[in-house]
Amino acid sequence: MIFGTGILKGLFVTLKNFVTSYFRKPDNGGIFTVQYPEERDKAIEAFRNFPFLAYDGTPDKVRCVACGICERECPPKCIHIVMEIDPLGKPARRPSVFEIDHGLCMNCGMCEDVCPFDSIYMDHAFEVTAADRGKELVRPKEALLKSNDYFLKIRPGTATLVDQKRRAAEEKKKLSRAATLPPQGPVS
Amino acid sequence: MSMPPFLRDIEFAVDLSLVNAKGWCLDLLGHFLPDWTVVLASIVISGVAILALGPLVMMYLTLLERKVIGRIQNRYGPNRVGKWGLLQPIADGIKMFTKEDIVPAQADKIVHFLAPVVIVVPALMVFLVVPFGERMTAVNLNIGLLYFIAVSSITTIPIFMGSWASRNKYSLLGGMRTAAQMISYEIPMTLSVVPVIMMSQSLSTNTIVMTQVGDLDLHWFIFTPWGLVGFLIYFLCAVAECNRPPFDLPEAESELVAGFHTEYSGMKFALFYMAEYMNAFTLCGIATTLFLGGWQGPFFPSWLWFFGKTFALICVMIWFRGTLPRFRVDQLMGFAWKFLLPLTLINIPVAALWFFVPERLAWLYSIAIFAVSFWGLVKLNCAFVPEKRIYPLAD
Amino acid sequence: MEILELFSKIGIYATMALVLVFALGVVALRNLFHCALCLAAVLIGTAMIYVALHAEFLAAVQILVYVGAVMTLVIFVIMLTEHLGGKTIRQTNRQSPAAIIGLSGIVVLLGTLLMKTPWPVTAKALDAKVSVMSLGKALMGTYAFPFEVISVILIACLIGAIVIAKKDVSEKGPS
Repeated sequence: MIFGTGILKGLFVTLKNFVTSYFRKPDNGGIFTVQYPEERDKAIEAFRNFPFLAYDGTPDKVRCVACGICERECPPKCIHIVMEIDPLGKPARRPSVFEIDHGLCMNCGMCEDVCPFDSIYMDHAFEVTAADRGKELVRPKEALLKSNDYFLKIRPGTATLVDQKRRAAEEKKKLSRAATLPPQGPVS
Repeated sequence: MSMPPFLRDIEFAVDLSLVNAKGWCLDLLGHFLPDWTVVLASIVISGVAILALGPLVMMYLTLLERKVIGRIQNRYGPNRVGKWGLLQPIADGIKMFTKEDIVPAQADKIVHFLAPVVIVVPALMVFLVVPFGERMTAVNLNIGLLYFIAVSSITTIPIFMGSWASRNKYSLLGGMRTAAQMISYEIPMTLSVVPVIMMSQSLSTNTIVMTQVGDLDLHWFIFTPWGLVGFLIYFLCAVAECNRPPFDLPEAESELVAGFHTEYSGMKFALFYMAEYMNAFTLCGIATTLFLGGWQGPFFPSWLWFFGKTFALICVMIWFRGTLPRFRVDQLMGFAWKFLLPLTLINIPVAALWFFVPERLAWLYSIAIFAVSFWGLVKLNCAFVPEKRIYPLAD
Repeated sequence: MEILELFSKIGIYATMALVLVFALGVVALRNLFHCALCLAAVLIGTAMIYVALHAEFLAAVQILVYVGAVMTLVIFVIMLTEHLGGKTIRQTNRQSPAAIIGLSGIVVLLGTLLMKTPWPVTAKALDAKVSVMSLGKALMGTYAFPFEVISVILIACLIGAIVIAKKDVSEKGPS
């Protein structure tokens, strides 16, 4: 038996939605649209977008040692690294070139997972634009370098863990060095 | 109505301000130019007012629809172009004008071109008899209502032209559905108007409004049993006539892409769209005229009352669109022929009863008649529902 | 004011000419759908002439019945008919000479009738406004019998259509 009560019920539901959209909160039947350029959602910590290179203190103290693991593991092969050669002709364990092609990068975060030197991390910045599809989307090292403070700011949880780990490792290293080598003054 | 005379005067002046403005313009012209230009100018002013009103109403109806639907779905709707998105229709218009006009290679070029042009004509012609306010009917035809029904019935032909000339099966299916739907719903719509004609004893839209005069200007036909039922039937048929959800089978996006205007782009598509929205407006306007007392109403100027009521009805249409899913074809036909048509036929004698029986008794009788007939029709229309299957091993 | 009357006269004659052109189109065009559209145009044009002659009621009924209902059905039939909608068909008829003779006979008959009938253009006839109410009274009073006969014929048509359209289950059996 259909007397049209279902239709009236449906109409009432939409009417309620219409009215409540004017004064209720988003989680309570209000409008949940985020007006993007003016407002933005608070990014969750695990949000990941285009990797950056972390450094300690000043930009010349790069954590990256140009081992090239991320370059090899990167599925779309968007990372390009060249090791720096010091004047003596020995590898300096620092990248002279570190480029990421943002046109290729698919934000998988594998580089972050494989990096043994806590150097490459996924960023939160997603508003990356370029006027040209080829050259300009290849970001050089200078554009990728970001301080550890920035890392602490955007991903406090991961960053503190990483910092603790690194400090512990350093302590251990210092201790072991102290144990094996008697203090002999500065190492030449 | 008891009101201080000066207030009455002010109301009257505001009421007729638009009419008076036109009169002054014509007087001014009369000083310089021969008589016949004044007559011509009068026609031109009314014509331009209507020609400008149609597209303007259409433009802002699209905005209103998008806003209301947005609110129903807990969104904002367009709010970027101008304050509250008020310039959005203009941006849309520019977009439509600059879009490429694609004509299918196999299409019947002339008919394909003519269809969108022709469809706007009846949509605009209907505006002639709509009483926008006191003394604001463009042409006071003594067959106004009949004219409205006749002209709006032409709309099927351009839809046919468009659907056939596109050489597209979706378009053709949409055209067929339109024809079937419009023929079916025109009958209950016309019959639902009959009681109004019986009561006002005139086909002129102006006279129909004038017969709804009463205390507080609230003596509308909808406050009678036959008026209420007639209004509901008329409104449902109006929704079907302008192909709006839940009766939007001719242009069902999910089944027919876009129905008869699948192969239209740019301004031609915009013309189809415009005709549809103007039809929605005029159908609501006529509903206001017939059942909601037209421009009658206390305190506010008459044209404000008219537009307020009309837009309220349009909002109900939008509300329907935001709520109800689409009918199936057989349900659609069944609803028109097996439910609305008998109800209109019952409505006509009930209106006659109202005419001859004192008011209290008439209310009682009509409510009883409508309740019984509604119940009976629902019973008769009840679709076969198989018994609920029992799964003995399930528990 | 004379200029306006001149304009309206030109308008009426232009409408008449257009109606004739479209009427030619109805019989001369090869595409059946175009013919149907021309017919619709002719009917609308006729309604416009009615309006010009102050027969608004007739005009509205003409559009409502012929354009709104009959033409829609005609086009519907054309679309439903297989292989007719899109093609252009040469209209051939072996009986065309006989048709021409018959037609000319009718034309002569109608012409003589038209010429012989006096058309009194009196001031009274010009002023007479046929209101809807008087039309209704005439239909329900003076002409009640023919009116009812027509409705009976229409109902007979409807029932006939249903009978024809109904599937004869008993003869063919379930297929």
